[in-house]
Amino acid sequence: MLKMVVCLKQVPMVSELPWDPRTGTLQRDLAEGMMNPACRSALEAALRLRAGEGGEITAITMGPPMAEEVLREAIALGADRGVLLTDRRMAGADTSVTSYTLARAIERACAGFDLVLCGFSTIDSETAQVGPQLAEELAVPGVAGIDGIELFGRTVRMRRLSDNFLETLEMDLPGLITVATGENALQHVPLGGLQAAFDGAKILTLSADDLGLDPEIIGVKGSATRIISVTSPTAAKKNLVLTGAPKRIVEQLFERFDDKIGGAIGRDLKTEKAK
Amino acid sequence: MDFNPCMKHKAVRKAVRMFAEAELAPIARDIDRDARFPWEVVEKMRPLHFFGLQAPREYGGAEMDSISYAIAIEEISRISAAMGLCLTVHNSVGVYPIVRFGTEEQKKRFLPAMARGDSIGAFCLTEANAGSDAGGVETTAVWDGSDYVINGTKIFVTNGGVCGTALIFAITDPQNLQKSAGVFIVEQDTPGFSVGEIEDLCGMRANPVSSLFLEDCRVPEGNLLGRPGDGIRIGLTTLDTGRIGIAAQALGIAQSAFEDAVRYSKERQQFKKPISSFQTIQNFLADMATEIDAARLLLYRACAVKDSGRPFGAEAAMAKLYCSEMATRVTNRAVQIHGGYGYSREYDVERYFRDAKVTEIYEGTSEVQRMVIARAVLSQRT
Amino acid sequence: MSANKKAIWVFGDYRNYFQNRVTLQLLSRAKDLAKKIGGEVCAVVFGHWTDEWVDDALSHNPTFCGVVKEYIAHGADKVYLTDHPRLSAYSMETYALLMERLAKREKPEMILIGATAFGREFAPRVAKRLGTGLTADCIGLDINGEGLLVQMAPSFGGNLVAEIVTPERRPQMATVRPGIFQEIPHDSVRTGEVVRVPMPVDLPADRVRLVRVERCPQREQKLEDAKVVVCGGRGLGSRKKFAKLFELAELLGGEVGATRPVVYADWAGHEALVGQAGKQIRPQILFSFGISGAIQHTAACNNARFIVAVNKNPNAAMMKRADVAIVADASQLCATLIQELKKRIR
Repeated sequence: MLKMVVCLKQVPMVSELPWDPRTGTLQRDLAEGMMNPACRSALEAALRLRAGEGGEITAITMGPPMAEEVLREAIALGADRGVLLTDRRMAGADTSVTSYTLARAIERACAGFDLVLCGFSTIDSETAQVGPQLAEELAVPGVAGIDGIELFGRTVRMRRLSDNFLETLEMDLPGLITVATGENALQHVPLGGLQAAFDGAKILTLSADDLGLDPEIIGVKGSATRIISVTSPTAAKKNLVLTGAPKRIVEQLFERFDDKIGGAIGRDLKTEKAK
Repeated sequence: MDFNPCMKHKAVRKAVRMFAEAELAPIARDIDRDARFPWEVVEKMRPLHFFGLQAPREYGGAEMDSISYAIAIEEISRISAAMGLCLTVHNSVGVYPIVRFGTEEQKKRFLPAMARGDSIGAFCLTEANAGSDAGGVETTAVWDGSDYVINGTKIFVTNGGVCGTALIFAITDPQNLQKSAGVFIVEQDTPGFSVGEIEDLCGMRANPVSSLFLEDCRVPEGNLLGRPGDGIRIGLTTLDTGRIGIAAQALGIAQSAFEDAVRYSKERQQFKKPISSFQTIQNFLADMATEIDAARLLLYRACAVKDSGRPFGAEAAMAKLYCSEMATRVTNRAVQIHGGYGYSREYDVERYFRDAKVTEIYEGTSEVQRMVIARAVLSQRT
Repeated sequence: MSANKKAIWVFGDYRNYFQNRVTLQLLSRAKDLAKKIGGEVCAVVFGHWTDEWVDDALSHNPTFCGVVKEYIAHGADKVYLTDHPRLSAYSMETYALLMERLAKREKPEMILIGATAFGREFAPRVAKRLGTGLTADCIGLDINGEGLLVQMAPSFGGNLVAEIVTPERRPQMATVRPGIFQEIPHDSVRTGEVVRVPMPVDLPADRVRLVRVERCPQREQKLEDAKVVVCGGRGLGSRKKFAKLFELAELLGGEVGATRPVVYADWAGHEALVGQAGKQIRPQILFSFGISGAIQHTAACNNARFIVAVNKNPNAAMMKRADVAIVADASQLCATLIQELKKRIR
């Protein structure tokens, strides 16, 4: 029986972001949360493995109390149980501290795991760092960004495209993988499962004290990096509007932006060439 | 009293919204234009329990609470009111009467296929001479010693063209209308059952609304819901539930029209300013937002009363009355804010406008709702 | 060279040398940064036959004479080199351990790593082992008044850029997106020191085994890596009009992208989908035809350097995000653009 752990992150829903592209202000606290798409791919990879091998899937997330929602969603999609790490003192963690905290919780709540699955990266901070760092913390072999997985006994065979190299890799369990968002459209949440996940399923909630973590080395306090400012580059764009006859517009485009357009395609577009 | 949506209701809204935006939004305009029923979407809805939203789990349903149910219908209708209509009719007046009034045997026979969406439900009351006046029903179901033999014509049947299971309101004794009305479960493959031409309607065009013909349709006794004479009671309770669905549908249409109007008013420039900077438009938007919010609260209140097990007829009628009339007002305003573009098929608001109107008409017209509400008011106050 | 001179390290990621010159770009940027802090630039190379390392793609290049000399010619003052048969293929755990040991011994001020697929997996492991911070996929690096490395990291598909520092722990580490900085031209007379670091004898075997590796004959990420992308939305009107984009893309040597409604209407395949559920693009120039600009789409386009949008509606979100917003019928303008390009490119 395969004991799997899927790490999930709740991210702001892009389509619902209270977002002003002009000023670049983003009211994250007003945004509705959703399960990060790559994390959902990781969950689906786990579900497929379970369908073939049998086993048990624990969904785990770290976040504010409202992050419980993604655990229930995971249960609706087929996960067996949920673990929520929530504690004000865990907030503001960088990737290294996040992986430390997650690792301690996995060791506590999912001791004897065979495979940890994470999303390759998240759509909010896009670091792709937590997975590899979690492998370091758990002291298990790990592979990032895989898009194919097969199990042969205690050996996992994985495929991935890495920097233009098509790699086939193997490792023995226990191990960790991060899963890229695949071509396959994601499964929709079955409504019956959702209802049952909210009505019945128990979520294990763990705080820093439950895990015996030193508050000085977790959350924002424990993080090595500091964010000093956040700006929106799209807000600053100058916007030139062209109107009129198409031919005239195209000519203007070539004349005024030859460096950009001609530059990108390696041609001089300013002048017409004789046939 | 907590007015904050709980985590479950938020999750239901997101799940259905994601489904509707991914699977339905790209075709919503086309299926309306072509009056096409999107079987390919039905196919995707089936495993997600959209056809058994409130059916018990043991029959393959999602067993949702009524607010979750209303949210699901609202979110589907926000993208395609015609599909919202298909679902609400199937779930609240197709599946629900069997859940509520069916025998164990009837539930086992009919619910699994309906909850899977393999058999789409329809509820058939309206006839040429019977609509708001259920007493005018002329379809008969005569007991011949071994079967009920049903004869009659039903019109304006929602889901008519695609239904697998039709609940037929008929009378067993023409001499005794009130006491002999019954609701009969008739499957589409029953000999003598046939579907008329699909209606060419103003809105809800992707739903195959049609007439149904019953010519010597024979069904066994086991296809009668409840006892002979229960028809009126079953019909009224079913309509109460149906009204919650229609209210949710109207709310979804209004919400969509409102969102489009807000977006358009910010984009559209006149006199070198976005039109949202003008007080007239702001007043429009403020009224729309307020009415939508009021409608939503009224609807969710009706749902909560229903789930508490108390009578909810008056609350459902209020919700249905207010949501549908609100939807007509809001979509009308949305068209107005869009100006000439709003009248063009290039934009969606004209569709919302067409779709909204009928919510004031079916599952009891606004006038019937007022009658229901007035009766409740007058019976409470002496 | 004084022993306590602050060092900026650049990881020598040579595997995709000619597609991906991010190491050279980083050497160049490291040189600028080193001037500001009075430091030196070091490249770190793990491999085999790196002195004369040549693959098929390089054999015709007469100036190339191994990655070590190449890095010196492109700005490295010093190259740390571990050359061993076990290092002939990239190996995550082995590389991470070598880097960890070397950094613990030499104590560099900063380590910069190209944000290649390998780099983005390698860097977090090294940072974890060194107990320091790491910023991902930076699109800018600078030194602030306190001499700290300011790392500019995009998030939300480039909608936001955060400036991040690592105030106390060392080294300061960042992965950096390819194509951000300009490499210094090859200077074959430039000299530098080569420090040979012996392969440790106690190195455990990598727990992840490379069973098979093949270089992809074709670039599989055509759209994501394209310098020019021509994207179309429903505003083009019909499948036939959308098809003109392929002609335009061919003239421009670019790729065609599409919005979700277009893919759904089957005017283009799913592989062309640019958006949250599809591909993220980062072309030098993006032409956007008849796209209103739902955020799921625009977020995937934010890394385009220059955007030309064409739409009848001047207030469409995509038009607001464009550098040049052309108010016109998208299909008509596409046809004119094709016509005019033909006159100029022939």
